[in-house]
Amino acid sequence: MTVVSAFLVTGSPLPMLRPDNPAWAPLAQGYARAAEALSASKPDAILLYSTQWIAVLDQLWQTRPHSLGTHVDENWYEFGDLPVDIRVDVPLAKACIDGCASIGVSAKPVDYQDFPIDTGTIVADTMLNTLRVPLVIAANNVYHDFASTERMAAMAVAVAAGQGKRVAVVGVGGLSGAYFDRSIDIATDHVRHPADDAANRAFLDALCAGSDAARAAVGAFASATKADMGMKHLAWVLGGTGGFSGAKVHGYGATYGAGAAVVEFVLA
Amino acid sequence: MTKGSIVAGFIAPHPPHLVYAENPPQNEPRSEGGWEPLRWAYERARASLEALKPDVLLVHSPHWQTLVGHHFLGVPKLSGRSVDPIFPNLFRYNFDLDVDVELAEACCAEARAMGLESKMMRNPGFRVDYGTITTLHMIRPQWDIPVVGISANNSPYYLTLDEGVDEMIKLGEATRRAIEASGKRAVLLCSNTFSHWHFHEEPALPEDMTKEHPQSYAGYKWDMRIIELLRRGEVEEVMRLFPQWVEEAFAEVKSGAFPWMLSAMGFPKTPAELHGYGTVIGTGNAVMEWNLEAAGA
Ligand SMILES: [Fe+2]
Repeated sequence: MTVVSAFLVTGSPLPMLRPDNPAWAPLAQGYARAAEALSASKPDAILLYSTQWIAVLDQLWQTRPHSLGTHVDENWYEFGDLPVDIRVDVPLAKACIDGCASIGVSAKPVDYQDFPIDTGTIVADTMLNTLRVPLVIAANNVYHDFASTERMAAMAVAVAAGQGKRVAVVGVGGLSGAYFDRSIDIATDHVRHPADDAANRAFLDALCAGSDAARAAVGAFASATKADMGMKHLAWVLGGTGGFSGAKVHGYGATYGAGAAVVEFVLA
Repeated sequence: MTKGSIVAGFIAPHPPHLVYAENPPQNEPRSEGGWEPLRWAYERARASLEALKPDVLLVHSPHWQTLVGHHFLGVPKLSGRSVDPIFPNLFRYNFDLDVDVELAEACCAEARAMGLESKMMRNPGFRVDYGTITTLHMIRPQWDIPVVGISANNSPYYLTLDEGVDEMIKLGEATRRAIEASGKRAVLLCSNTFSHWHFHEEPALPEDMTKEHPQSYAGYKWDMRIIELLRRGEVEEVMRLFPQWVEEAFAEVKSGAFPWMLSAMGFPKTPAELHGYGTVIGTGNAVMEWNLEAAGA
């Protein structure tokens, strides 16, 4: 078995930086439970896709073996800094770059000191990866659609299988997109629109019902709620797992009005 | 104290390729050159800026995108290494800049007084975005003039374009008031590309100019139309066309720097000077100047 666990997690730094804030605590606690599940699955590597790593030219893959430093988010800098200590499974990442050619995608490695690794990747690595296993990090090319993101994840899993590795598949991104564009009292943070809140909950129910229900729901959900990047982080999970039979929602809430969740999938 | 003034405004786009092509000591990658006509355009702009002797440069950059309000750099000294997330192969730049925190705070306060959500960025570890740095390097590589760095609030994308533009127009008015009260000579920098249709793959040698051309003919025609109108001083017509321009040319001006700067300058009817035009990975870039002092505005 190549895929040993799969997760859909928020890339917002707010629950990580202020886990004590009552509005964000359920997400932070959900992350802790998901981290336990990931650890229990004993992966050799994590295949991670974050909506916040935007690419526009080629499909980029992180190939720097070790990135160390501090990241300051361009929006949420007042809540604190994000320590970065990310290790990459370079042979697997390079094999994924080669694998992109087989699915007709032009891909490139990214191996630069001080490259601005996106907030979502840093948050997921910090909160979920307590085992400190190496990552394979794929960028979100804005010109790639849902289906091509699925194909890419499936390719990455096939490549991992070829290397005899056990992997966790992690999609990092949000749910409903509407946020508060004026300052709020963070203790009272909630999903901005009640209709989005209902749609988020219904969508999470669909995830819990399995990948067929998730597939059936995702298009309408994404357009109705202006969901984060058309939910391409779910495409990564769908493509990577080849489908799931259910899911467990470890945490749900809002990150400055936008929908956010921590979800663990039950593999088919 | 004498009244401060905006002595000039520049359209100063930020393709990192221009810094890469120049091979300054701050940038790690080395190039064989390239994009010379645009770099010569910046040479002319640099000379013009030198003659203006401003006390402060204000730059509005689309690559510091903020969700909650308009943010201003608020730390006196910021330094670090800026690596472009899209072109890390071309731009890994060691920056070290002085911020005019006093003026930034005044701009922020004026913006707040006008009902805009606005905020000072006080985190000393903040990494200044590559748009701000590229524009500042290209216009003033000496880095000897303090800076006010302004984020691009996401309102043109999150709200309707009209509502977003309205925010930027107010931000421009707030900026002008703050400058006037400061007694300083200020230059505004609109860090924007015009037509933003770009290639989806990079040439093997990025500076191979045989590969450089407008990506879209429609985008190119928009660039020429807008430049011609600005050269004739027809900013009202440009603002009337703004939504169509943004839509059809996928213009980066949507992010707000352009209406911010024109509003701060009072939508000047004086002709803008074109220092030069060129494409970078297919996008259209004009370096233009309104010398308000020379125009007696
Ligand atoms: Fe840009």
